[in-house]
Amino acid sequence: MILYISVIHLGWVMDKDRLKKILNTLSSPKIFICTIFWMMVLVVLGTLAQKDLGLYEAQQRYFSCWIAWLGFIPTPGGRTALFVMTFNLMFFMLKPAFWSFKKIGIIITHTGVLLLLLGGGITAWFSTEGNMVIKEGEISNVIIDLFAKELVIIDDGNSEYDQITTISDNILKPGSKIESDLVPFDIEVIDYHINCEPIRRLDVAGPEYKGLAQNFILKRIPNEKETEVNRTGITFKVTGAEDVANGIYSMFLAQQIPQKISSNGKEYTLALRRERTHLPFSLKLDDFKKVMHPGTDVAKSYSSDVVLIDKDLSRPVLIRMNEPLRYMNYTFYQSSFNEGVDVDTSIFAVVKNYGRLFPYISSLTISLGILVHMFLRFPIIFNRRRGK
Amino acid sequence: MIKILFILLFCVSCDNNDIKTYRVAKAPVSTKSVQPPTITDNELKWDLPKSWSASSGSSMRLASYNVPHSSGVGDLSIMILAGDGGGIEANINRWRGQINLGSQTLSEINNQSEDRKNSLANYQIFTVVNEDNLDKAFICAIIPLADSTIFVKLNISAKGITEIEDDFIYFCDSFRLGDG
Repeated sequence: MILYISVIHLGWVMDKDRLKKILNTLSSPKIFICTIFWMMVLVVLGTLAQKDLGLYEAQQRYFSCWIAWLGFIPTPGGRTALFVMTFNLMFFMLKPAFWSFKKIGIIITHTGVLLLLLGGGITAWFSTEGNMVIKEGEISNVIIDLFAKELVIIDDGNSEYDQITTISDNILKPGSKIESDLVPFDIEVIDYHINCEPIRRLDVAGPEYKGLAQNFILKRIPNEKETEVNRTGITFKVTGAEDVANGIYSMFLAQQIPQKISSNGKEYTLALRRERTHLPFSLKLDDFKKVMHPGTDVAKSYSSDVVLIDKDLSRPVLIRMNEPLRYMNYTFYQSSFNEGVDVDTSIFAVVKNYGRLFPYISSLTISLGILVHMFLRFPIIFNRRRGK
Repeated sequence: MIKILFILLFCVSCDNNDIKTYRVAKAPVSTKSVQPPTITDNELKWDLPKSWSASSGSSMRLASYNVPHSSGVGDLSIMILAGDGGGIEANINRWRGQINLGSQTLSEINNQSEDRKNSLANYQIFTVVNEDNLDKAFICAIIPLADSTIFVKLNISAKGITEIEDDFIYFCDSFRLGDG
């Protein structure tokens, strides 16, 4: 905070010439060229790494990060490169010489590129995606994230609602301590594995080990290329709960038996699960239909008859392959299904992306800018030819 | 301009939403009139082939059995997991990894499966053998239920599979509820 205030103060006291010099440096087209070149390098490296790491991990290591580590060497990640590119372009457009009617085509084109970059930023920061899984006859308003996990502490003592406290996997790092008024006891993360395997203990565990940790240790195993297949596991120490509940616990994703911990006279249920988002509206699945290619087990098409329920309003909607439902910035795509004995389950891929329209708008803007520039340049080019 | 940028940067860096608390109404009851039965561990029954014997297994397993054959003893486990338990593709590929085999697509996995039916559900049997090391193989059944999935997995050698395959199928076909 002090650092930011100091820098802001520096801006106030800086003289105009110095500021102009800085702006000239920041708006240099050389920066733009360098970042484009670096993005090309990242694209090549990320594409090659995808073979071994899988799509999601490669994306995280090279593009959705500020620093991309090439071995032990820190280099600018995709976010840094695009961040620099965006501000370089903004500073370039702030130059008074840029704003002239003769350059209207170039101005429109640059605005389109800036919109594209801003849209990418909005998508990177604010978009969410996950799955909604609904059985026929059931209602759901929950999106389950494919990648992010959360440690949840559920107080189900109230007959009408569950009080849920979630701890994001962003802070579930080995050695991190979670001491918050929102959490009824203190948690110290001992180990956190993206992918693990429960291995039965050969020795007898000490009394400090509780629940699953009494009989199993979680062994880290190499991450799967398909990140969503990984079985994430955590080992943590609980203090500040009831004496009998204080100790070391282990749990893993989709564990069948939830862990109970008593604290302050209440019993809490703990689980490690995929991050959930609760929507302000619900979908009820009335019927799931699928059509198979004749003589095969390959689905030709499948669709879901759902009812969209938003407070007191409800309306029937048909969600089919390539015909998603769009509602309140969320888009529901028919993604998959599970066949049950009597009841089928429909799986929707749900995407929330405020920057969804930016690629369309910016592409149109860039095209318009190039066309305008061409029309303005044509007379000059033709006149030159006539002159020759 | 610089001031605005730094203020924006400050706002972005101050985003701390890692611990949240909220209330969720108790899960609504399904409106479907006919629901398949929910299975609890003690309702599930099966018939055991004569040569098989119970083993200690682990607390995660619903049951474990030793499956003797001419060149050793196989380890059979029965587990029930909520929902689809991670799905066929993820589980089979994880088990394939345990016997040093690469992953396959769902259609490749399904192509090698045998469809069967017991009183609980239509289910599939998968036989996977590491051709480079015939000691590493498994045969498993995945039985999907209304809100959970039963996984029956037998770790055994390739030779063992050929000997006990019929017993395994008999065993999986016998899964039923209560005294049914």
